[in-house]
Amino acid sequence: MAVFYYFLKEKDFPAFFKKLLKKGEVYGPKAKGDFFVFDKLKKLEELRLDYDVTILPPKKIISPPEETLLHFSKEGAQSPKEVEEKVLFGVHFYDIKAIDMLDLLFQENFPDSIYLSKRKKTTIIGSSIERISKRAFWGSVGKHIGPQGHDGFFTKIKDGYLYETLTEKGEKLLKYGEFQPANSDQIKEAKKKNKEIMEKCPEKLIWDSSTIAKTVRENFKSPLWEILSKKCFSCGTCNMVCPTCYCFDVQDYFNFDGETGTRKRHWDGCLLEDFAKITLGGGACENFRGKRYERYRHRAMRKTAYLNTKLGGPACVGCGRCSMQCVPDIADPVNIIKSFMEVK
Amino acid sequence: MKNPFIPRKAIIEKITYLTEKEAHLLLKVDEKGFSYKPGQFIEVGLFGFGEIPIGFASSPNRLPYFEIVVRNVGRVSGAIHKLKEKDEIYFRGPLGNGFDVDFMKGKNILIVAGGIGLCPTRSLIQYILDNRKDFKDFVLFYGTKTPQEQLFQEDLSNWRVMKEINFCETVDKPSPDWKGNVGVITTLFKKVPINPDSIVVICGPPIMYKFVMAELSGIGIPKKHVFVDLERRMKCGIGKCGHCQINDKYVCTDGPVFRFSEIENLEEAL
Repeated sequence: MAVFYYFLKEKDFPAFFKKLLKKGEVYGPKAKGDFFVFDKLKKLEELRLDYDVTILPPKKIISPPEETLLHFSKEGAQSPKEVEEKVLFGVHFYDIKAIDMLDLLFQENFPDSIYLSKRKKTTIIGSSIERISKRAFWGSVGKHIGPQGHDGFFTKIKDGYLYETLTEKGEKLLKYGEFQPANSDQIKEAKKKNKEIMEKCPEKLIWDSSTIAKTVRENFKSPLWEILSKKCFSCGTCNMVCPTCYCFDVQDYFNFDGETGTRKRHWDGCLLEDFAKITLGGGACENFRGKRYERYRHRAMRKTAYLNTKLGGPACVGCGRCSMQCVPDIADPVNIIKSFMEVK
Repeated sequence: MKNPFIPRKAIIEKITYLTEKEAHLLLKVDEKGFSYKPGQFIEVGLFGFGEIPIGFASSPNRLPYFEIVVRNVGRVSGAIHKLKEKDEIYFRGPLGNGFDVDFMKGKNILIVAGGIGLCPTRSLIQYILDNRKDFKDFVLFYGTKTPQEQLFQEDLSNWRVMKEINFCETVDKPSPDWKGNVGVITTLFKKVPINPDSIVVICGPPIMYKFVMAELSGIGIPKKHVFVDLERRMKCGIGKCGHCQINDKYVCTDGPVFRFSEIENLEEAL
């Protein structure tokens, strides 16, 4: 579908959004203490399009921390019920890029119907960045890959919003507000704004992603990994807050009747100690990444190198969540990459 | 869209205990059109307990019956060990790539199996014996720690006398009545000449690969003619959950069978 541009006056936005809320489930950024989270919105006042970054990425709306794969009983297994349509509103471009990567990864080989059916029922509406988080580096990571896969995008411009529609799902929102065709100045203003903000990140990578991938990969056996990971708690926070992490564990749960139950998946993290561990029986086990630095390196490799061929670029979008939320502050991809790029 | 996590049903036709810990299950699948390649695997499980990856231990020629061996080591395998004949069991598959049997046809074959590594390779052993004319010399090396740990005793007795297979066995620690070879599996290379143009399949504990590879390189067998069957924590089996990942490869979808040349420089593989 072609891209269309509309303009919504600032004063018309509240009426539009209230109507959208009335029509179905809307998830968007809202405040939680001093931070922001994506959550189900009940009223207009909750929406905070001026957020810098959310604690968890919007991935959680499509691929939640705990998710049913099937229900079981004596008769066999049944797929979970299909979810309702929902709108995911106010997603920054870097998180749109991350969701697009998940779309590909869940689609390839054996298509994951659990993810894909939820994804299909989700309308993704992006919004321009109004405030930059302290550890963001989205301006310089995987620059050659733009956001795609979303349905519409709001950019705050003078006196209102430029709304760009990319799909029919995005067009559907038009009926809720007083949208008018945008003029070329408004389109230009939005493009300029979204382009200029790319230069304003507090952190920056000065190398292109293929050079980074090559160098980091070549340093697999470098002693630096042990040094960099010395303070790692193996807590997995960097995995949990990452918009492109999608590993999971599967567990079964019986209901009280002891016959029926549910098979669920949960977010898992490659930094956690038993992620690659298998039992050999009698208390013996084999852990294929038993050392802390091996797990730390695995994540760094996955974000900078391993998935690049599949994704066309790094599996990192520069949101800076891992950098901000890692307690000993050793997860920042910019610092990890610098350590290898600047090594003499 | 089909839910890839929904398993299919099989009936346990027979349970034999190969050792105290290893249950040999003969399963029957009702669905028509189900097929697999030697070296592929299934996620077998029980609702309420979970699933585990297990290689096929029998040739696809025996369908609708197929066999697996489950070692009692954890929650799922422990629950499977409590099942009785005619009970239902659930599985997803076939999964993974399996052995490239077309590539192996017309060539000399050497299979090196250590311990429980005999189970997944048994699908290929049976397949070769079923289609014996398609292959040249067929040598099987089998090593275990003790004679008590030898699996498939009935097969072993047959293989010892069969002309179609040159079967060589060894144990690390013999029992008083053991008359065969004693020593690690590589000691068999000194007893049996192996043709340098052989195709080799290795399956066993990780430690075994290094020493077997040293022997093979001495013989002059190129690394691209050596296939290894890897074991990892293949939780989902469909290349998503990440647990079995080695570098950029998912063992469950890119493997579990790899050419040695493909993974020798892949850190964390062996």
